[in-house]
Parts: sequence; structure tokens; C-alpha cells
Amino acid sequence: MLKILIPTLLLIPTSWLAKAKWLWPTTLLHSFIMTLFSLAWLKNTSETNWSTLNPYIATDPLSSPLLTLTCWLLPLMILASQDHLAQDPLVRQRIYITLLVTLQLSLIMAFAATELTMFYVMFETTLIPTLILITRWGNQMERLNAGTYFLFYTLATSLPLLITLLALQNKTGTLSLLIIQLLGPIPISPSVNIIWWTTSLLAFLVKMPLYGVHLWLPKAHVEAPIAGSMSLAAVLLKLGGYGMMRMMLILSPLAKELCYPFIILALWGVLMTSSICLRQTDLKSLIAYSSVSHMVLVAAAILIQTPWGLTGALILMIAHGLTSSALFCLPNTNYERTHSRTMILTRGSQMILPLMATWWLITCLANLALPPLPNLMGELIIISALLGWSTWTIIFTGAGALITRTYSLYMYLMTQRGPVPNHMISMNPSTSREHLLLTLHLLPLLLLVFKPTTIWGSAY
Amino acid sequence: MSAWRRLHVKVRRAHGLFTSRRVTEQYTWMYGPSTLGQNLSTGKPLRNDFFKELEAQLAAMRKKAADALPGSSWSPFDINPNLPPERADIVIIGGGVMGWSIAYWLKQKERVREGVKVIVVERDLTYSQASTVLSAGGIRQQFSLPENIHLSLASADFMRNINEHLGVLNEDPVDLQFNQSGYLFLASEEVAHIMEENYSTQRQVGAKVTLLSPTQLKEKFPWINTDGVALASYGLENEGWFDPWSLLNAFRRKAMSMGVIQCCGEVTDFKYTVQMPKGLEYQMVECAIVVNAAGAFSGKLAEMLGISSNPKDTIAGTPVPVEPRKRYIYVVHCPDGPGLDTPFLIDYSGMYFRREGLGGNYITGASPKEADEPDTSNLEVDHQFFEDSVWPRLAYRVPAFEKLKVTSAWAGFYDYNTFDQNGIIGDHPVINNMYFATGFSGHGLQQSPAAGRAVAELILDGNFKTLDMRGLGFRRIMAQEPILERNIL
Repeated sequence: MLKILIPTLLLIPTSWLAKAKWLWPTTLLHSFIMTLFSLAWLKNTSETNWSTLNPYIATDPLSSPLLTLTCWLLPLMILASQDHLAQDPLVRQRIYITLLVTLQLSLIMAFAATELTMFYVMFETTLIPTLILITRWGNQMERLNAGTYFLFYTLATSLPLLITLLALQNKTGTLSLLIIQLLGPIPISPSVNIIWWTTSLLAFLVKMPLYGVHLWLPKAHVEAPIAGSMSLAAVLLKLGGYGMMRMMLILSPLAKELCYPFIILALWGVLMTSSICLRQTDLKSLIAYSSVSHMVLVAAAILIQTPWGLTGALILMIAHGLTSSALFCLPNTNYERTHSRTMILTRGSQMILPLMATWWLITCLANLALPPLPNLMGELIIISALLGWSTWTIIFTGAGALITRTYSLYMYLMTQRGPVPNHMISMNPSTSREHLLLTLHLLPLLLLVFKPTTIWGSAY
Repeated sequence: MSAWRRLHVKVRRAHGLFTSRRVTEQYTWMYGPSTLGQNLSTGKPLRNDFFKELEAQLAAMRKKAADALPGSSWSPFDINPNLPPERADIVIIGGGVMGWSIAYWLKQKERVREGVKVIVVERDLTYSQASTVLSAGGIRQQFSLPENIHLSLASADFMRNINEHLGVLNEDPVDLQFNQSGYLFLASEEVAHIMEENYSTQRQVGAKVTLLSPTQLKEKFPWINTDGVALASYGLENEGWFDPWSLLNAFRRKAMSMGVIQCCGEVTDFKYTVQMPKGLEYQMVECAIVVNAAGAFSGKLAEMLGISSNPKDTIAGTPVPVEPRKRYIYVVHCPDGPGLDTPFLIDYSGMYFRREGLGGNYITGASPKEADEPDTSNLEVDHQFFEDSVWPRLAYRVPAFEKLKVTSAWAGFYDYNTFDQNGIIGDHPVINNMYFATGFSGHGLQQSPAAGRAVAELILDGNFKTLDMRGLGFRRIMAQEPILERNIL
């Protein structure tokens, strides 16, 4: 673990001491090398599931795919931000990279934490660099509003989580995941068990997000700069899912009745957010709502606490991370050329940028869960698990899946096909940097088709 | 006209924090409020409208509460509300009738709510130098170019049904005071054949025009002196004059109700053809498309694009040939003048006049010769011009005007297209995201609704859908092929 953490930490002095000409190539290369090392986590030969074990940090098949995804995303974020930061002064570019690296550090430590306290502290720490990214480098006036929503939605629900963790420490004497998984049900007085259950899970449900507390997500995703959107969509949402999976080990006996309202909210959310996508005018907003619709499915799957549910949730989280991040990069390439995110004004780009149209096609197909991509595997496993939980869920998940396919195709057709507007005729051609960025998003997705056990998690 | 229908609206009693006012109990007409039953007077409304007052009442309530409660209005974000937003999709430079028409049509065609973010930038909200409000306000279909006839015909149709298009819920209806008295063109012997050819073009396109011989003319309008007149062309329908300020305000009100943002500022620079700073406080606006609807000042605006730095005979170096030309309008009072059915008369000598109001006032003017163009640095009126050029021709054509008194006068700019005196509608060939809707040289106001629709179709649909205005594009200026009107004013 230290062989990843120390280089990540030292990426901060690198970004401050590198010469202006070499800043971006150096940080890019450095983060790529770290990513290569992080791939080693995916191999787990331990019988107890925990590997790279020490009292504070460990990885298991649940957290290692998420950790690898996090490490994979840093070079991609650096690659994506290069263009729009080019006109900023050098100091600001260095600060930007420092923020990205800080975010990366806190995320690695959050996913790898064995103590729930450290997980909580790192969970909160991720908020700060993201907030700074959104409010300082966002594009519009509304980013202040977006930052406030983002911060306070998460804070308001995570402070009760802190109390719960402290109470848990009191009750059981430990907060280490290694021990808690062996403890069995926690004796809690019946008068507070509902409060206990809600406070421990609400922070993660807001982060996922669950439909009903999802309002921060469209705002934050749309107003954030590209690296902010990528990290938000790909990794920060998964923090919520990961936290839920860990916390629910402790809460098991209560979960059977208490999870009902949240599962209903989640299922309804699939339908609602997919339908909203069909009416969006802003491309980034459409992708943000699409993120919500996928993640509420994950939330429902985790809440039902079956092995298939947890497996499907993890697969969909990883697949969605890669797809959603790619989906945010694509309209950003358009935005850097036309300075507009409105769908009416950015149409027909297949005629002008044909290779980019290929990436649009593959990414939209991934979003609509085309077989044999892991998006479909995840969705299918979740839908089957929910079906086992109750037959009626098929109505929601089926209709939701149908609308998901509709809006994904709609997004592709609107942006790529159709007449080319006059103002887009003389756009700069796609740079190889953009092609590389998208290839690096889609290649892991395609590779995962061949070895899905990497991302199956510990339930299987 | 339909029978008089009084609208009755049920008004609930106002209590509490609302300011007290007279409350009337009335019943709702069975079809509810609709434009069918609304009368078109622009006086004070006869009924008390609860919902119109509601906004003002709530704001007053909030202010009262804020004054009563402790606290200050300090906010950590020092945002100047007058500045435009940092980014927009489409920026329209010029808040005249053309700019607001384009804004309205963009919002009308956007298919979903908030589809495009539109800003209209106007540097002088008092409109003291804008061509729109200083215009004589005439509308005619008697052109020789089919594109011009189409534009005016569509605009006239728009203005006849203006409340269908520009009516805002719960606001007063729009009243353009559209006097459909027609235009009367008088042709001398030399140019009568041109008038006949124009007449057949106009009839083909669908304008309702008729030709009159001198005797028919004398029968219809006994006050005309038909000496020298060989043929006259009279518009029977969709021609006349209207109030330009009402049209501008109607477009503006409707567009703002649909979400267009208005900002007061001047565009001082373009960067990468896509970002513009404006105002004394510098604010860069990042946008995808810029529309140049700056009227008489369009040429100067286009200079900011850096066109003059390119060689003159290249496509990139062709300047936008629009410059301001000053024209005078004189208001005269003549108690024995022509009656209420006076059309907008345009003489072959270049003189024109029309009736203004019902008190025996008339508006008149003339186009100066090319050599005597007035100085355009200010809007001062030259009264000598009236004495020398306008009155003699006026008195010759209408003997009753020998005894008249000039009550007032004003001057306004034409956005004069020095190339061929017709509008430029379309995108710039080199700078792909800059569109033009300018250079109409005196007939912009009457073509503004249809021209706005054409530009909006070009932006949102990619090409013209209802009327084909490709002939009015920038291409003709590049190719140096002027499309001149024959017999223009």
C-alpha cells in the first residue's frame, strides 16, 4: 500500500517543482506509473479476503476494484484538464493538480481503510478538494449554489454518521472492519434501533445518491470543471456505495423491514430520473441524471443484502464509473470548441468529427447496457436479485431500463446525427489527447468483458 | 368587431399584510379570460387583476418583513446585478426591433423550456439613437425583389395577429395601431414600365396591390395633383403604418417573459470570435453564437472582428457594408389636408408623406441626393432641407399642402447597406458563428418579424424553413453581385 501512497503524496511536490514546460507530461507519467502498480491489487490470493494487510490499511475484493478505478482515474483527469487550464497562470495549474492529488490520496485511504473512523475522516476529506474545484474552476455563476448544495447535503447527513460511529465504538469497543465482520448482530435497545439504522446509512444514501436526496448531483456535476465531473461521477458516488456495503454488515437484523421505504424510493427513482433525462436541454445535465438513475439501482441492490445484489452492485459501480466518466469527457470536447452545452446547438458532429462519433457510439452503447459489457452484467444481476426479493420490482426496473436505452440513443442521435449547424463547420479537429483519453476509458471496460471475476467482489 | 364582452374576475378579499385596496365582487365569464373577449384599448384596465398585483404584493410583504426583522443585507458574494452572465449560448448585439424579434423567435423555436440561453445586449436603453423608434413606421409589400415582398407579407400577417404571437398572460394586450391605409406609389412616364413589372411580381408573390391610372387616381383621391403621374400603384391590404415603439416593447416583453436576459452594455471587443467583454465594468461573456443586429452601427461592430487587417480582395477582408445614413422626418399640421383615407404616398421625386393621428397632422420627408448626404455624427435636424427639397414637391403633389405649419421634426439613422440597399441575413462566411440581420436601409422595421424568424431558423434548424432568404445572404457581397431594388426610396 505504501508503494502507492507515498508516490501519490510526492506527486504534490512534483507538481510544484516541475518546470512549466514539463508540468503536465511529468504528472501524467507519474500518475500512469502509479496506476500500473495499483493493478497489482486486483490479484487476491488471501484466504481471509484481506490482502496488503496492516492494522490501518487493507484491500479486499470489494475495495480493490474501486481502488484501481480511483488510481486509474487520476491520469485521465490530468489528461482531460490540460486544455482548459492552458490559459490559466502557472500557479493556478499547479494548485489544480495539487487538489486532484489530494482528492486522490483521500480516496485511496478511504477505500483502503480498515477502521471506520479513518474511513469517515477520509470520506469528509474528499469533500474539500471537490468543493474547491467546483466553486473556483466551474464555468457559471450557479457554481456557488452547486457547491453549497454539494457540501451541505453531505455534511448534514454525515454528522449523524459520526455520532453513530462513536456510539458503535462505545458499544463494541472497536471500529475495525476486520473485527466487526466477525462480531454478529449488535445489541441495541429497540427504542433507538431505527435511528441507529437511519443515521448510519443516510450519509451514504445521500452520496450515492438516492432519489429524493439527489438534488445536489445534477447541480454539482454540471457546474464542475471536467476533472471535477469525472471524479464525482466515477469515484465519489462509489464512496457511498462502498460505505453502505461495509456498514450493513453491522446492521443486518434490522435491515429487513427498515430498508423497504428506501428500496421503493430507489425503484421509483430509476423511472423518474430516466424520464427527466428525456427532457433535458443541457448535455451535462442529461448525463448527471443518467448517473443518478444508475446509482439508485445500485442503492436498491445493496439494500436487499443478497450475494447477487452485492455482486451486481459492485460490477455496476465499476462499469458505471468508467462509462460515466467517458460520457462527461465527450461533451467536454464539444464544449471546448463551441462553448455551448445545449443540445440544440451541438448537433450533427458525426459529419465533422467522425472518429469522435465512434467514441460517442461506444460510450452511449455502454450506457444503455449493451451486452457483453459489464454494464449489462451488473444491471442484469441486480434486476434478477430484485426480482428474487419481490416480483413487482420488475415493472420498475424493466421500464427504467427501457427509458435508459431510449435516452442513451436520443443523446447519441441528437449530438451526432442530423444537419450540421453553420457555426460548427470550422471546428478544430479532435486532438490525439482526446482520443487517448477516451480510449483509456473504454479499453478497461472492454477488457473487463473477458475477466469479470476481477470486479465480482467478495460475495462470490 | 365582435360584440362588447365584459370580463368579470372573481377577486378574493385581501387581508393582513396586503395593502388595502378596493375589492369588487364579480363573476367569471363562462369561457374565462381570453383574447377573444378582451378589447384592445390601451387605457387603464377596467378590472382589478388579483394575480397581476400578487407579485408586487408579495415583494412588498417581503420587504416589510425584512425591515422588521434584525439583520443586514450584506452578502459575501458581491455580484453586480447589472453585469451580463458569464456565459450564454447566443448573444444578440443590438436591442432594437430586429434583435428582440430574433430573441423572441429563438425562444419560440427552442422546443423545450430553457433550451437555449439568449442574451440581448443594448447599449442605450432609452433608445435615443436607435433606428427602430425614430422610424416612420410604414409597412408595404411594394418591392421588386420577391424576398422583400415575402418578408413584408409574412410580417404583416404576424402583426395582424400580434396578440396570438406576442400576448403575455395577465398583461395588457398589444396594440400596434396598425393603420392599414396602404401605400401609394406614383410613377412618371419614364419609370411606369418598371412599376408595371414590379406590379406583376408583387401579384405573383401574393401581395394585394392594384394599379391605378391618373383618372382613377383622381377619382379615388381628389386632393392629388396628377400632373406628371403616368401610373400609380396602391396597396389594398397589409400595407400602412404602425407604432414601432409598441412593436419593440411587445417583442421585448414577450421575449423576456420567455426567459431572454437583457443587459445594458456595449460590446467593445471580440476574442476568438466567441468571447466578448462589455460595459465599463469589464465582463467577458462566453458564448457559442453571436448575432449582429446592431442596425446603423453594425459596420463599426464588424470592424472589431479584425476584418480590416486582412487584404481587401479576400473573403476574410470584405467589410460589412453597413453605415448610418441620416434621414429627416418632419411633422406638419395642415387643417385642410387630405382626409382620413390618406395612404402613405411616395412620389417619384423621392418625397413621401403619411397621415399621423386624427388631428390633421402629417409626417413627411424626402431622400436626399447621393451627393448631399447629411452628416451622421449627430441627430440634428436641418430645417432648410424641408424648405428646399420637401415642401416644394409636397405642395406640387398635394395643393392643399401649400398652407402648412411644421410643428416638429426629428432625425434618425438608416442602417444603410452601401452595397445594394437590401438586408443582409445570414452567417459570415469566415467567422462561422457570427450571424447578421442588418443593412435593411429603411425597411428593417417592417421586415423584422419575418427576418427574426428567418435568423432563428438558420441558427436552430440549420437552414431556412418557412421563407428562403438565401438570396439575402452574405454570399452576394463576397461575389460582388448586388441585388438592387428598382424604384426604391
